[in-house]
Amino acid sequence: MIRNKNMVQNGRIRVAVDAMGGDYAPEEIIKGAVLAAEKDDVKIFLVGPVTILEKELAKYKLTNGSSIHIVEASEFIKENESPVDVVRRKPNCSVAVAARMVKSGEADALFSAGSSGAAAISAIQFIGMLDGVYRPAIVGSLGSFAPNTVMVDLGANVDCKPHQFLAFAIAGSVYAKKFLNIADPKIALLSTGSEESKGSEAVREAHALLKNSGLNFVGNIEGSDILNGKANVIVCDGFVGNVLLKFYESIGGYAQGWTERKLKKYPPLRALAKLLFRRLFPATKISSETEKQGGGILWGVDGVVKIAHGASHAPQIANAIESAKEAVKAGVVESMKSELAKFNQGGKL
Amino acid sequence: MTVEEQIRDIIARITRVDKSIITRQSTFKEIKADSLDVVQALVAVEETFGIEIPDEEAQKFQNFGDFVSYVENRVAQKEKV
Repeated sequence: MIRNKNMVQNGRIRVAVDAMGGDYAPEEIIKGAVLAAEKDDVKIFLVGPVTILEKELAKYKLTNGSSIHIVEASEFIKENESPVDVVRRKPNCSVAVAARMVKSGEADALFSAGSSGAAAISAIQFIGMLDGVYRPAIVGSLGSFAPNTVMVDLGANVDCKPHQFLAFAIAGSVYAKKFLNIADPKIALLSTGSEESKGSEAVREAHALLKNSGLNFVGNIEGSDILNGKANVIVCDGFVGNVLLKFYESIGGYAQGWTERKLKKYPPLRALAKLLFRRLFPATKISSETEKQGGGILWGVDGVVKIAHGASHAPQIANAIESAKEAVKAGVVESMKSELAKFNQGGKL
Repeated sequence: MTVEEQIRDIIARITRVDKSIITRQSTFKEIKADSLDVVQALVAVEETFGIEIPDEEAQKFQNFGDFVSYVENRVAQKEKV
């Protein structure tokens, strides 16, 4: 069921929003969706129990041209529930309904700040993966310190099979070409040493696959090389990627606090440091761009799926919806398909 | 194609392992199938054979052979009806 809140306009990117997913859902999700809907090139479908969503949406006065609609999904995935319940026990939960809207062509993108596992499973089961890709991956730019570097996977796949690293490299490569304008991205595998023999069994096998892939693979790099520009695409499993991402995102705030504490006895220097951090290196700029973008895209899915941290508030939700819209406009799925086709033809995936 | 061969194909496709390594004694762990692989396999098998496999039954499967035997029985019952 779709209930119109405003006049539908043509030429808008349609984003199905899992309105019940997130630590502060549905309040912050709806607030963020209302913010995102202020732009006239997006049409938002809030998916969840109609009675709850209507009550929440009624708190806002929508601007002229805002296009927000409510789509019924009677169930949703709760915090303590397993993500696989989406498939077996709750196939009509909000994130699953939103995913099916992408599959059926009713929406161009799905956004969820709920369980990333549930979003990934909904994407796999209800939208489907691109040929040659086993599981979705999250790609993100490292931003300020390493503006020409992306990492993949940032958390969608904790345990990885060797062939997944190759799909990660392809996704990272498409991202670097599309969003960083790097014509031939250098790809590296994150390991505990530069030698091929270093790393876990999966990493060692992945090294061989990447070496023979035809991609611009520059070999293994270590943690100390992440920010030095040796690679434009750093490939790792989702466990390592997620730990690194969260550490990276925390650096800015801690660096500022630490510097100010160290200079406590030298008020003029402390004031100068404070000024420098606030004016030149604000904490948000030091941390990952992924945070600013409000999460990551699930690459490898046959449709745009954007996920965000569960703790996201309205501004991050609005950014994430905006970024999902940009991904649709940029044609990331089509680019990924054509890149994958080269490898599928060669039987490498 | 037998029930066993069809289920082997489904599992091999989902887990991306060579189907020749899947024997009746293989456990899901041995073929490196995680919980999502197992759920996807259950859904695909249910759709293929038009049956429902309750979670409490699925949890009893110790290996590929148990899974196949259960489905074979259910398919045979269905054919009798």
